[in-house]
Amino acid sequence: MILSSEISFWIALTQIPRWGNVKVNTLLQMIFEKEKIGLEDFFSRSVQEWKEKFGLSEVDCENFTAAKNELPNYSFIAEDLLSQGFEIIPITSSDYSSTLKENLNPLNAPPLLYIKGNKKILQESSLAIVGSRDASEISLQFTDKIARLASKQYKVVVSGFAKGVDKQALDSSLKYKGQSIIVLPQGISTFGSGITKYYSQIIEGDVLVLSTFFPKSPWSVQLAMARNPIIYGLAKEIYVAESGNEGGTWSGVLDGLRKKRNIFVRKPEAIEKNANNILIQKGAIAVDFDGNSIPFQYEEIEQKQLVFAEPKNISKETKYPQQENLFK
Amino acid sequence: MLSRIEAEAKLKTLFGLEKFHDNQWNAIENIFQGKRVLLIEKTGFGKSLCYQFPATQFKGITVIFSPLIALMRDQIKKLNTLNISAQCINSEQTDEENQSIIEQAKQGKIKILYIAPERQENNEWIEATRAMNLSMVVVDEAHCISVWGHDFRPAFRRIINLVKLLPTNFPVLATTATATKRVEDDILKQVGGNITCIRGNLLRDNFHLRTVKVDSEDEKLAWLGATINQIPGNGIIYTGTRVNTEIYSRWFEHLGISSIAYNAGLDGELRKEIENGLLDNRWKCVISTNALGMGIDKHDIRFIVHTQIPASPIHYYQEIGRAGRDGKPTYLILFFTPDDVQLPKAFINTARPSAEKYERVIAALKKEPLGERDFMRVTNLKTTQVRVIKADLLDQNIIREVSYGKQRKYEFQFNAPKLSTTSFEKLREAKLNELDKMLEYVETKSCRMSFLRNYLSDAHTESCGKCDNDVQKSIKVHYTDEWKEKVEAFHSSYFPALEIEDAKTNLVNGVAASYYGATNIGSIIHKCKYENGGDFPNSLVKQTLRAFKKYFSKETFDLILYVPPTESGNLVKHFAEKISVALVIPLSHNLVKTKQTQPQKIFQNSYLKHDNVAGTFNYTKPNEETENPFC
Repeated sequence: MILSSEISFWIALTQIPRWGNVKVNTLLQMIFEKEKIGLEDFFSRSVQEWKEKFGLSEVDCENFTAAKNELPNYSFIAEDLLSQGFEIIPITSSDYSSTLKENLNPLNAPPLLYIKGNKKILQESSLAIVGSRDASEISLQFTDKIARLASKQYKVVVSGFAKGVDKQALDSSLKYKGQSIIVLPQGISTFGSGITKYYSQIIEGDVLVLSTFFPKSPWSVQLAMARNPIIYGLAKEIYVAESGNEGGTWSGVLDGLRKKRNIFVRKPEAIEKNANNILIQKGAIAVDFDGNSIPFQYEEIEQKQLVFAEPKNISKETKYPQQENLFK
Repeated sequence: MLSRIEAEAKLKTLFGLEKFHDNQWNAIENIFQGKRVLLIEKTGFGKSLCYQFPATQFKGITVIFSPLIALMRDQIKKLNTLNISAQCINSEQTDEENQSIIEQAKQGKIKILYIAPERQENNEWIEATRAMNLSMVVVDEAHCISVWGHDFRPAFRRIINLVKLLPTNFPVLATTATATKRVEDDILKQVGGNITCIRGNLLRDNFHLRTVKVDSEDEKLAWLGATINQIPGNGIIYTGTRVNTEIYSRWFEHLGISSIAYNAGLDGELRKEIENGLLDNRWKCVISTNALGMGIDKHDIRFIVHTQIPASPIHYYQEIGRAGRDGKPTYLILFFTPDDVQLPKAFINTARPSAEKYERVIAALKKEPLGERDFMRVTNLKTTQVRVIKADLLDQNIIREVSYGKQRKYEFQFNAPKLSTTSFEKLREAKLNELDKMLEYVETKSCRMSFLRNYLSDAHTESCGKCDNDVQKSIKVHYTDEWKEKVEAFHSSYFPALEIEDAKTNLVNGVAASYYGATNIGSIIHKCKYENGGDFPNSLVKQTLRAFKKYFSKETFDLILYVPPTESGNLVKHFAEKISVALVIPLSHNLVKTKQTQPQKIFQNSYLKHDNVAGTFNYTKPNEETENPFC
């Protein structure tokens, strides 16, 4: 559990200009693991200590001083969010998704999750179904089938609330009485219409709405792109219904492959015009449409992998420092 | 940090005051150290200086949550004359005014900003706070935080949540004039953090406390009629209900005593006008529910009369506390008849609707998020009940208030706890105990001031030497025949006003034969309508004709129409026929209903009552002959 007086510090920390997740998480590591102090304590330290102990630059210190002055302002925002039933989960919390931390490598994981609904879903086994906004009928049927299997196996379906495959994944998951995480391409407090639409599923605990962005941020292309790694990160398995050779799904899968994720791509029919085959060539695992022969039977998948897995073009693979059990 | 000497030098230049009281400086010093302070001091102590002075020294803005619009206005006027930039945001100002003030606050042009707690529910305000340079938060009337206090307000729940989220070294001051130990502990617990409590003594040494025992409401009328002009100065008479503010002021009008009625049901402009009149001593007294006076900065209220016992000694101390701030002799008179206990008892016992009604709201909100109006329509509950239920469900984290664009809706929460009614029961018991304490005050033979101070956990409770028990002089009422006749004459010539005129209707104001329960008229009608008592009796016709003669005898009428019945047969029709004959005004039967309606009484709130009858009346012959058939 996060102390209520610490929430504003967390929000302030994620609002420091030009600080990405890695920088924030590295600092958090120093605060929580090396110095073993709290966030409030860190903010109360002198500029000199910030520099010497925590390695902050002059500019960083200026930004942190500004953020410190804005703490009461963030308290107003936090109060408003909490009173509306949103919750704020920091990366140090046991409520935080361990799948997300593992998959993104802790340093890349978003320091804060804003959520509404059943946060226990974050601890369940999960799979993501991704694909184009204007996916073909066959892709949507595939999505439906995977969602049904997920529901049968009590796996949570993660999707991004876009048109096409995302929407199908969510609706099918609910149709088969499964559970779902909606990962928003916007701030969580701008999602009123979606919350109305999935109201009963949210209050029954079958849907969790999640955003990693500042609560009031409106939808934007950048946020939609930045949201993709979160979808992949929250899922233990990733299923691709349909991908073009550019756009969100395409770059998301490539990013996933670089991170050595197992990504299952639907093997398209010969007449289909999409980039599924290319992704398979690049190292994704092919799966066929018919539910019988595919998912969750890892042996079989591994055999297929032998056939298709000739990963190319993964030279850009990022080297992440190996750190286990961060922030625990 | 400023030393006391330096601060007092600044105090002189800024406020024209020589020095701080010790407790004032104690509070201010804590605030400068970024601490949280609960300040419990009596009215007139100078609590507001404890935040106004630090506010002038801070770089940014100080936000004061205050439930009292009148107080905001007074304080701002005063601060502005001292050239300290202060403003307020409240519902009595237009949106444009509020927005322009928010803009100034964002630009750092305001030092002190007063704001109603309800504003924390407003999106634009929350958005605007992001751009403000905040220096301190003040929670005025902090007893409103506690359900154990005398004036719990649900809107303060969010203020407390806000305070909990503020950084612990951010200065927060909570102030109140009235807090028992229990309320004090509750506030300290809720505000949390490292909070210091500063409590002053509660003695008001200019107060002359009196209790007057009488046998009936009419004796109160008679005694006040005979005595009020002999009490020096101007003051306030608190009645228990809005209806009584009207009855007492009509009684005074009947006797030629200058007074005016005030209650929260009056429109904002009129209330402001009466508040100003009170400041200028325009009337001998203002007759009011306890809605008046909190936060009014008037120093010379010379007397306060309660015609109805308050719900607890803390209510009483709080309400009389508004008088005699100038330190001159002030009279506080409390009437009591044993029947008086029924009203506060009823309030306490019906404060919470039945659990079934709570469940009705919960069931509705499980289906979809609803605004307040929507769920009044769906659940058929009274406005007051809906508000209580809503506040409790929010408090128990069963529902949440969520903004949907500009609208506020309520959502059921995933994993919400089950409704708990044990806290309601505890609270009810506590309130009944407090009422017993108030009765104890009436009966006490020892010093009344020390009784009140003791109740409020004041450390010192020496005798005041001024109350009726200390001076051993009590007021006895002699209800003479002369006054009995006067009171009876008043009752038979008094018709409550039915004020319905507004821009939306061409109906005009009227009068009623009586308030229900004030005379036997209500029970007569009930008998005819529901107990097969036959037509309305002639006594009712006569009373109606008296009212007509008093208010409308000079008007010319074309026709009498009557409201067609839903289920009471021809009662109203026959009554209208008798009136028509007596006044020699033709009667029309052409006001009809175009569709079946339900009896209005099954609907508990105005939205559903409105929906039931809207568009169902039709006057079928607007051009009908209006010549007098009797001629």
